[in-house]
Amino acid sequence: MSHLDTTDDTQMTAAWMGWYRFSRNPAAIIGAAIVISVLVMAALAPWITPFPDHVGSVVDFRNRHAPPSAVNWMGTDKAGRDIFSRTVFGFRVSLLLVFGVLVISVPVGAVLGMCAGYFGGWAEKIITGLTNVMLAMPPLVMALAIGNVLEPTLINAMFAITLLWWTWHARLVYRVTVSVANEDFIEAARLAGAGPVHILFREILPNCIAVISVKTTLDAAFVILFGATLSFLGFGVKPPTPDLGSMVADGRQFLPEKWWEVLAPGFAIFYATLGFNLLGDGLRDMFDVEA
Amino acid sequence: MGRQIIEGILRRTASVLLVLFVLSLMIFVLARVVPGDPARMALGPSATAEQVADLQAEMGLDQPIIVQYGRYMGNALRGDLGESLVTNRSVTADIADFLPATLELVLVTVFLVFLISVPLGVLTARYRDRWIDNAGRFFSLFGVTIPSFLFAVGLQLLAGSFFPDWPILGRVDYQLNAPDGPTGLLLVDSLVHGRFDVFVDALQHLAFPALALAMAGIGQITRITRSAMIENLRKDHVLTLRSFGVPERVVVFRYLLKLSSIAPLTIMGLEFASLIGNAFVVEMVFGWGGFASYGLTAILQKDLNALMAVVLISGLFFIFANLLVDLALSLIDPRLRLRGQSA
Repeated sequence: MSHLDTTDDTQMTAAWMGWYRFSRNPAAIIGAAIVISVLVMAALAPWITPFPDHVGSVVDFRNRHAPPSAVNWMGTDKAGRDIFSRTVFGFRVSLLLVFGVLVISVPVGAVLGMCAGYFGGWAEKIITGLTNVMLAMPPLVMALAIGNVLEPTLINAMFAITLLWWTWHARLVYRVTVSVANEDFIEAARLAGAGPVHILFREILPNCIAVISVKTTLDAAFVILFGATLSFLGFGVKPPTPDLGSMVADGRQFLPEKWWEVLAPGFAIFYATLGFNLLGDGLRDMFDVEA
Repeated sequence: MGRQIIEGILRRTASVLLVLFVLSLMIFVLARVVPGDPARMALGPSATAEQVADLQAEMGLDQPIIVQYGRYMGNALRGDLGESLVTNRSVTADIADFLPATLELVLVTVFLVFLISVPLGVLTARYRDRWIDNAGRFFSLFGVTIPSFLFAVGLQLLAGSFFPDWPILGRVDYQLNAPDGPTGLLLVDSLVHGRFDVFVDALQHLAFPALALAMAGIGQITRITRSAMIENLRKDHVLTLRSFGVPERVVVFRYLLKLSSIAPLTIMGLEFASLIGNAFVVEMVFGWGGFASYGLTAILQKDLNALMAVVLISGLFFIFANLLVDLALSLIDPRLRLRGQSA
């Protein structure tokens, strides 16, 4: 457990030790490399794919169901579109979902978790109660149910996930907050006249950063997996925009003869979730926290 | 059994019942507030406004939401979950038809998870940092990382390419005339009726769906069993047993494994929610025709009564699984019982 009452010197050493542990962990380095490669591929998709226009409504029936070749590295789909290009663009939808879900649920969960841990009372009761509640429901069933009552799109399903997801972060941050709330440095800040906002964000929050970053990285893997599952079940984005889950669902109809149509998007899902999982595990070892 | 365990079980059950209440209310309200009239959907676009109004009155849709909800829950507690707008049958009857298929799949899956992951966890802990540990780590990462639907599709592809005769759709070959009842679980029913051909066929049908559904659990439980074993290997009482010359086999299987099964059991209970979620996907890929397929259809067709029932029963599934876990834990861990008595 790292506290803020350390001097700059020891903090430097701690950071350096963490980095040392991280860099000596091959799995973590591989994870980081995969995550960076996914980010770069998504960002540069229009420039690095051979057929960037195939993400649009291109139809090339003479080339449909073409097996992998020098031209179409991963073959083509039922409309003759290049699967490799579409898969690389598919990362964009996945990462957008990750961003959309986590940018709301992480800060909300962190703030509410800190409040519950620091103030106690009814805030604590409600938030711990809610987090227990969320454990009991299959998130997939919830997302399907809520998403569909609104409209069966990926965005709505992910919105449903966001509604549920903050509770996990609240739970983690709550636990850390409770464990540091009675430490001397908090008391010192209070005696020095610091208000609750200062204590929450300047004294407690830095202690939660490690847990939050580990959990957020692992969450990214989960959101990609989850988004792919939902779009596989038919909660896709608007065609012809490619997303990995619906590409697998489309290609599945032509199994086992046209195996390449599920191979690239399927592997892409595995690749991205593997990267975030390895990176998250590496960060966990580096910070030495439970998340 | 200790009082504390019973209290704990009651408390958990109460909190999950509260969950079910909140969730069902949420879905109920959402479904009523959002545009898209269930009566209109049931009758189709050619129905007149009068017919729609009649059906609305018949379904109670003209009442305030809270009255509708109260009536729904009152009926639900008496076992009446309303009528499905898609199958035109009572939802209770539908569920009674579809639930056994899923129950069979889930039971075999849980069995498979423990059958594979506990020995693997023991083995990887025993031979820590050797090649078998690394292979096991890779295997569990594989299980945790790959979504169930990819496993399902991948297994189907493998079966289709290498075992063309292996059945990959449905529960049983219809030409076999599988016996009906009494449980609805084909593996049990076929044995009751002495139909071994059906038993073997059902088992073949089960193999791939159960494996696809089990992979995530196998990955997780292997990891947890391994770390629990490693943690307990260092404990003093293990050292004592060893120094008394107790055979290694007895130390590992009689003492360590028992102690190390607490964490995996607890996690299995918690993982049950995502297991049910994944069943939705696996059933769809393998054309399983169980409760989850029914639920997916209900959700996609906005079949509100069926949807409510599916959400409620998924929650009940989770409560029940965790009750079983709590019971198993109190049998395994005498400390849980003792703590209850002294309190």
